[in-house]
Amino acid sequence: MGGIHGIDLFIIISYLLAILFFGTIFRKYIRTTEDFFLAGKMLPWWVISMSIIGTNIGAYDYIGAAGGAYRFGIAQANYEWIGAIPAMVVSAFLFVPYYWKAGVYTVPEYLGKRYNVYVRLIEAILWGLFLVCLLGIFFWASGIMLNTYLGWPINVGILITAIVVGIYTVTGGLTAVAITDVVQLMVMFVGGIAVAILGFWRVGGWSGLVSKITATHPEHFKLFLPLDNPVYPWLGMIFGLAFVLSPAWWCCNQSIIQRTLGAKSEWDAKAGMLFATFPKTLIPLLVVLPGFFALALAGNSSQIQNPDQALPWVIKNILPPGLAGLVFVAFIAALHSSVDSTLNSAATVWTKDIYQRFIKRDASDKHYLIVGRILTIAFVIWGVIFAPVTNKFPGIYVAMQNLLSFFQGPTLATVLLGVSWRRATQWGGLAGLVGGVGISAVLFASKVNFLYVAWWSFAGSLIINIIVSLFTKPEPLEKIQGLVYGLVMKDENIQNIINKRVNGNE
Amino acid sequence: MNNFWANIPLFWGKIVATLFFGGVIIWAWFRPKSYIFKGAPDNKVWRDLRIWATLILIVQIILYLVF
Repeated sequence: MGGIHGIDLFIIISYLLAILFFGTIFRKYIRTTEDFFLAGKMLPWWVISMSIIGTNIGAYDYIGAAGGAYRFGIAQANYEWIGAIPAMVVSAFLFVPYYWKAGVYTVPEYLGKRYNVYVRLIEAILWGLFLVCLLGIFFWASGIMLNTYLGWPINVGILITAIVVGIYTVTGGLTAVAITDVVQLMVMFVGGIAVAILGFWRVGGWSGLVSKITATHPEHFKLFLPLDNPVYPWLGMIFGLAFVLSPAWWCCNQSIIQRTLGAKSEWDAKAGMLFATFPKTLIPLLVVLPGFFALALAGNSSQIQNPDQALPWVIKNILPPGLAGLVFVAFIAALHSSVDSTLNSAATVWTKDIYQRFIKRDASDKHYLIVGRILTIAFVIWGVIFAPVTNKFPGIYVAMQNLLSFFQGPTLATVLLGVSWRRATQWGGLAGLVGGVGISAVLFASKVNFLYVAWWSFAGSLIINIIVSLFTKPEPLEKIQGLVYGLVMKDENIQNIINKRVNGNE
Repeated sequence: MNNFWANIPLFWGKIVATLFFGGVIIWAWFRPKSYIFKGAPDNKVWRDLRIWATLILIVQIILYLVF
């Protein structure tokens, strides 16, 4: 793309230097693994909420969602609204407080305490592999973006991302990640609002946008599309997305939940997740509107041959010099905020759930801090090496998404029963998780839409867990105290145990 | 069976979505006050997370009724 001017380049380089400087400030606060992985349990609610959204929105979402809106219309916003908000509310009120009270570093660690070590191992390996593979994809995306917009060689773009994000994530841990996420989210919104204002000006305001689009695409302002829609059938959006995939993402995803585990209080943990619903509701302004502007201004002309070109087209054709650089910085910010969170979460899972639990159990805290940092560096190097491989396998991102939908439903069922049903046993949890993944595999092989795969694997996992639990010995009260909803609400002794756990005395 | 699903009007999507959002609001208000404020520095009204949840879910209901 040839629309980048000197002022744009200046803005981009200034951002990269500023975020590097800002992120490394926090290295002096890192003395323990709790500092590194959980920000010393000092994060206030407003940082958590902005960090959650920064983590959630990646460059793929920008480009892919704008393309989705260009092709299917406002139905794309379901992923930000019904496919997120109710699940975030449930996560804030039901799941987050129990993870936080359990005093754990990871979701697999919670499952290990609630069920058994096998459930923890399976979840840790699945999430550990997923997060590490995702890094390579993110690095490749950053190289492509810098190449497309600035003309830099792809390898240079990958290296710049790796160096900037790697340095502040290795030195500052979750604190640096969360604080830079706040800055990055602000940049994303400034860039998105700039696009919205200029876009509306070009199309003649909201009424101009609606009349231009509905003239050729009357379905584009409908949130629910008919069942024969290949991508967004309304029943799948409700049962698959809203009831399963979304709760699984917002209640069980390590890179999302980890911010709440670093909260300074239980209220901050809950409020952080809940307040994130407000910026989340506005995300379609950033990711859906550009697709509409492209459709309204370019139509189905040959200028946009692939829907994913909608957003680059908007930047190239709508934004003046300076603003294009700002919006491009918003892309980089979106990408960085996802890369740093994935990096930190991958290091946390591999250090706490794999290394500390199965390789070296009784080392000093300093040892695990060093291991966490070494693993972070190793994952940066891995991401750089793995990134070009993703180019050789174009379907790899889709494959990763499919892998995620394989175990998201079963994971949600396992966590949901673990948190809410005291009768769920360790063997019920294990059977439900393994059986649910098996159901996913069978349905996936039968080429069922992934939204329905998620729903049926969730339902199957839930049923298997309940049946096996009812036929196996109940867990002793002392094992599950403080980890199950009903028990915490009623028992004063459990409250005391939780307080000890949270204060690190247990 | 497929015909049964295909014949359900799209309007039912809006009804299900509205009931879903409304159900989450009601569920949130069944959380005890002590549980909501646990860990909060004070019990000021603005810290009542059930109010936050209600506000954002009402916004969702409006969006799904409009579009």
